[in-house]
Amino acid sequence: MNRSIALLAPLFLGLGLTLPVLAQEDEFQTVITPAFSPVTWERLINAEDEPENWMMYSGTLDSQRYSRLDQIDKSNVAELEMKWSYQIPVIDRAETVPTVVDGIMFITEAPSNLTAVDARTGRVYWRYDHELPDDLRICCGRNNRGVAILGETLFMSTLDAHLVAIDARTGNVLWDTEVADYEAGYSKTAAPLIVKDKVVTGIAGGEFGIRGFIDAYDPATGELEWRTYAIPGPGEPGNDSWSGDSWKTGGAATWITGSYDPDLNLIYWGTGNPGPDWNGDVRLGDNLYSDSALALDGDTGEIAWHFQFTPHDVHDYDSIQVPILADIEYQGSTRKVMMWANRNAFFYTIDRATGEFLEGDAYASQTWAQGLDPNGRPIRVPGMAPTYEGILVSPPIVGATNWYSPGYSQQTGLFYVTSFDGEQEFFKRDEDYEEGERFTGGGGRYNQPMDAFHSSIRAINPATAQIEWEFPIMPRSSAGITTTAGGIVFTGSADGYFFALDAATGEELWHISLGARVHAAPMTYAVDGKQFVTIASGNVVYTFGLKDD
Amino acid sequence: MSSISTQIKHLLAIATYGLLFAASGSNAEDAGNLYNTRFDINAGLKYFERQCSRCHGFDAKGNDETGAPDLTGRLSRASSDVGIFNIIRTGVPGTAMLPVAADLPDSQVWQLVAYIGSLSTDPANIDLPGSVVAGSRLFANKGDCNSCHMIDGQGGRLGPDLSRVGERRNPEELLTDILDPHQEVAPRWWTMRVTDNEGVTREGLRMNEDSFSLRIMDAESNLWSYPKRQLASIERVEESTMPSYTQTLSDSEVDDLVAYLFSLRKEN
Ligand code: HEC
Ligand code: HEC
Repeated sequence: MNRSIALLAPLFLGLGLTLPVLAQEDEFQTVITPAFSPVTWERLINAEDEPENWMMYSGTLDSQRYSRLDQIDKSNVAELEMKWSYQIPVIDRAETVPTVVDGIMFITEAPSNLTAVDARTGRVYWRYDHELPDDLRICCGRNNRGVAILGETLFMSTLDAHLVAIDARTGNVLWDTEVADYEAGYSKTAAPLIVKDKVVTGIAGGEFGIRGFIDAYDPATGELEWRTYAIPGPGEPGNDSWSGDSWKTGGAATWITGSYDPDLNLIYWGTGNPGPDWNGDVRLGDNLYSDSALALDGDTGEIAWHFQFTPHDVHDYDSIQVPILADIEYQGSTRKVMMWANRNAFFYTIDRATGEFLEGDAYASQTWAQGLDPNGRPIRVPGMAPTYEGILVSPPIVGATNWYSPGYSQQTGLFYVTSFDGEQEFFKRDEDYEEGERFTGGGGRYNQPMDAFHSSIRAINPATAQIEWEFPIMPRSSAGITTTAGGIVFTGSADGYFFALDAATGEELWHISLGARVHAAPMTYAVDGKQFVTIASGNVVYTFGLKDD
Repeated sequence: MSSISTQIKHLLAIATYGLLFAASGSNAEDAGNLYNTRFDINAGLKYFERQCSRCHGFDAKGNDETGAPDLTGRLSRASSDVGIFNIIRTGVPGTAMLPVAADLPDSQVWQLVAYIGSLSTDPANIDLPGSVVAGSRLFANKGDCNSCHMIDGQGGRLGPDLSRVGERRNPEELLTDILDPHQEVAPRWWTMRVTDNEGVTREGLRMNEDSFSLRIMDAESNLWSYPKRQLASIERVEESTMPSYTQTLSDSEVDDLVAYLFSLRKEN
């Protein structure tokens, strides 16, 4: 039944009819969600005013992951109990952050599937299974991190480097666009971002010698509106920061969701490592715009400014962290800033209108740089590049942090990040580029057990770049962070805990063992006036709430 | 580390099974590995570093995070070259261990098998100076190793069970284990010193630690469990509880122990 509707869908749209109404009239139609008010761009801009809904990957366009919900607060968080759990049928690790609109939750699953459930009970409305080829080129598991929604349409990335538009009421495909050729090493795992009337999305494949880009698509048709390459082509400024033809296979993937400032009309997006990751000899120069933050014009995608965190990276220090935007008090005035705890172990506060570097310091153990110069450029320690024999460097390949979302609290003004103090031996290898093959030029190995390292949740003051508190956990967490007006920081750990900390002090408020690694960020929402918190652990999505009275 | 005897075996394999193998295509039959020269092992290593090391580690010793196991000792899913070939060819369903590209020639899969084979020491290819029988006696008597270690259900609980230690440690590593036990102590055998919020200090083996709790076993075999928020300090004592035997055992006694321990495998 699902399939026949999928075939008819374009027809209905063409007639200007809305699919849900027709579907509802079908008495055998069991795969339809209740009606909800379409998610307009206006609603997305003001998402923080409707905290009962979680309408995009990072909650709001500024990606603070700060929710105004405060029913669950410091005084009662210890009473949280599990309300429901949802088992993902395909076993892999769940990196999903669900989206919730009017009591309907959308969960992305491995490999590239999507399910709509009742946010009160976790019971399924419909499921979309994306058909995939069996020779995918993926570096790091079969993940999907979430969807974007506009109107009644969901937008999802798939591992075969497609962008699909799905009817949120039925799970039917509206269009399916190939963003890039998976056989050449491209793939997609991140949630797209809605910017005005476009679907903005990045690309993965930095370990396969791709050339990264950020795209914008027409939500109605799936047609490409603009593409901005993260590596400039010949004749463009920055192309000369790559020796020879190395820019063609230079990586700079854009595999995590960015942020948007409606006042400045700028999209902020991180870029990944230059390729090959660990052998920089074949790509001399700064390798722009790898390991950078890009600010793009919200209408045209043109690059307004860039800030490169790690010029000529040879350690795989992707800068694909989610950019957090906030207006903070800085040296006596209010500044529009972007905050960034980088995989390279440095934290940065940057003026987001201009790209000017304001503050920065190491927030985790590192041995590769002496520090940052007045422009925020790292001063390298000589002799820390990977060698044929191996050389010990901190942070290790996985980084001081990585793709998992940081958070920011409007109550405390603090930035929160999951951090790792590790080290690893880095090796360099000579490799020739072959389309669709891994192109990394080396690798790494730990020479101590994981438990010998230190990990923690760190709270950083963005005005000083100094750590205010830390909460130690077992290494190495890949959980994201969410903060609430209840004064809480929610996050998870590698050993399967989901827990709540006091956002002001880092004091432990509550924890529960979920029994499997947390690879995802929590999110919070409310239905019928009741607040819930959701987190994926292992292959299960858990939802917690206060006791019903 | 392919010894001469393995190479001779492979020449024989070519002679005996060459035809059979040629017909077998992708579903390996037990024809033995025809690609096992030093050149093949090296080619296997190169491929491994590029395609497999991100999960199994650059040293093939595995990685806690990806769940990819150590490939340098006895494998849990394969006991022969053919078994390893099939795992690489077809993957392990339902896990991150995916099959290699379908168009990868069998010869290259065999080179990977050869490389993985080269990582573990086949007891048949090695001649150790010590005596297994003498080592066995030392273990229980003069060495008093069994006060801490169990073998086949006999012995103490203050160290790892050694019933199959020959599968996971090669003779060189066993030598280090005995002479310099402090060099590398697995987290399960760390000694932790903790002081609780009342100021009471205790020390013991780390039975379990996670983000919110710690359990240790003290020298009298008492278990102590703590929520971490009740602990004022947690310290790791870097040394092993196992003493070094450089002073107390002669070189030949150590050789005997190594020979004995290396002989401890499932088959025996
Ligand atoms: C994406 C991560 C990943 C990659 C890449 C990977 N493996 Fe694995 N491998 C695993 C995991 C996880 C297991 C354990 C599966 C299980 O048994 O649960 C495994 C198991 C194995 C085993 C069986 C081990 C045993 O003890 O029985 C072999 C052999 C192996 N891998 C070889 C390889 C080779 C050779 C390559 C490269 C061609 C490779 N792997 C690439 C993750 C990976
Ligand atoms: C006081 C208790 C104790 C005594 C006595 C002791 N060991 Fe150990 N042994 C340990 C502990 C604890 C470990 C694990 C920590 C480490 O590697 O040092 C260990 C580790 C080992 C290992 C490495 C095992 C592995 O799986 O990696 C070997 C081999 C070993 N011991 C052999 C011996 C021999 C042989 C003797 C006697 C000569 C002996 N031990 C005496 C406590 C002891």
